[in-house]
Amino acid sequence: MLYFLSAVQLLFVIGFAPLAAGVFNTLTEKFESKKGPSPLQPYYDLYKLFGKQSVVPKVASSLFQIVPYITFSMYLFLTLVLPIITAFPLSFGPVVDFIGGGLVFGAIGTLKKIASLDSRSNYAHLGTSRTSSIGALSEPIVVLIFITFGVISHTNNPYVINNIMQTSSHWYFSLVHWFVVFAFFMALLVETGKLPIESHSSNEFGMIDQAIEMEYSGTELALMKWGGYIKQFILMSVFLNVFLIPFWVPMKIELKGVLLYAALHLLKMLILILIFSVIQSTVSKYKLFKNFEYVAMAFSFAFLAIVVFYTIGGAM
Amino acid sequence: MKELYLIVGFAQIVFVIFMQWQIYLKKIILTFALSSIIIAAFLFLDGIMLNSTNLLILGTLTITIRGFFIPRYMLKMLNLAYKEREPRHIVPPAASIIISLFLVVLAYIVYHFTLYNITYIKAGSIPIALILQGMFLIISRNNAFIQLTGYMVMENSLFLFAGYLFPELPLIIEGGILLDLVGVVMISSIVIRLREDAISAITEQFEKFKG
Repeated sequence: MLYFLSAVQLLFVIGFAPLAAGVFNTLTEKFESKKGPSPLQPYYDLYKLFGKQSVVPKVASSLFQIVPYITFSMYLFLTLVLPIITAFPLSFGPVVDFIGGGLVFGAIGTLKKIASLDSRSNYAHLGTSRTSSIGALSEPIVVLIFITFGVISHTNNPYVINNIMQTSSHWYFSLVHWFVVFAFFMALLVETGKLPIESHSSNEFGMIDQAIEMEYSGTELALMKWGGYIKQFILMSVFLNVFLIPFWVPMKIELKGVLLYAALHLLKMLILILIFSVIQSTVSKYKLFKNFEYVAMAFSFAFLAIVVFYTIGGAM
Repeated sequence: MKELYLIVGFAQIVFVIFMQWQIYLKKIILTFALSSIIIAAFLFLDGIMLNSTNLLILGTLTITIRGFFIPRYMLKMLNLAYKEREPRHIVPPAASIIISLFLVVLAYIVYHFTLYNITYIKAGSIPIALILQGMFLIISRNNAFIQLTGYMVMENSLFLFAGYLFPELPLIIEGGILLDLVGVVMISSIVIRLREDAISAITEQFEKFKG
């Protein structure tokens, strides 16, 4: 049963991740009084890219071509170990905890940067430099958030944290939790490349993550893009299921409950996407050096959560 | 009431950190107004719970003078476009946010080893943190309006501290401080405006030579 549910979760993420990105793009355009692309546009893009020939820079080594396949499979691995449509660990759940998941995300980021440096493109180097600068500051925030939740729940297991948040109104309504929610939300905007941090345009001024995949084409670019959609979907799911709205995620092994929740999860996701689109349409992009101030604010929220924890007398 | 005090106290800390982040004076002043209104609401509720007229009067004074009058007066003084933001800081915003955060930790440690042994209230470190943050806001910025806001943040923390820990503190002292402050703000603002006008009148001639 657990293997079957693992396969369901995997297909759910692979299948709906591009749709989440498509709905976000459509809603953002609608907010700007434009017609906007179809929500299915990312599927068409992927289909088109898979049918195109790959062009590889002459100077690049074989690593450049392998990395999209490795990173895509690592994203698939992450879908099997995080609470997305179940609040009980699936077959591969015990393999890693939150810190382990963070390390896999870190490894994916590092591989992408190495591959983009291998392309010897100026744009890719620019993206690597920017991603590394911001990542060096935003990653500790995510680690700090996990440590805070670890202190609350005495574990780093995301499933246990979800169960505690679902059942304990004391922790759900505590200031510690809400500071963590704000910090993670701010970090989520950084990690998913949304405004006010990154604007996806054709000029290099706003590029951060986007520049890393500049030299890819064909199947490799499709895998990079699809991986990006999956990353966004996973992070948003973790934010919803562990931090913001941990309720209704099934805690019992039951197929009907899981399938029902899968539909509900899409609804939760839609609300979050709506919030993202409002931010995307109303906030202007920060200058690159201002991003560090934004990251400092996110760090403040994460750090204040720990201060609150000790101020209210620790674990009560 | 303890939970509400915690929420109000940490909201104040976040507001000060937000002020450190901002370069637009209008946003800083409006944040200060919001923080004063929240403190006034807290004093009101505390006054109703404890049936204390002192706290109710203090809440009324706070919301009228600090929530509306002083911010409105300061905004009125910012009538020229070039005064509306402070692009150059003594300490860069990102660094000031982090320093401000560490002042909160310092306040917690200092309070824990000193006053906590008398009050036995764990959340008593919040007003001390606000005083330190207010001081830092003063020394980390060049602009006189922000420095005044920093001074008033320190005052706000005193009201929060007195309102929660010592609600029976004689009203005359608190009201006196409040009214003194009105005078100080008015006079300072006028003096600053006169000084800035005089300086800009002199420098305007030299700006013409800029390439």
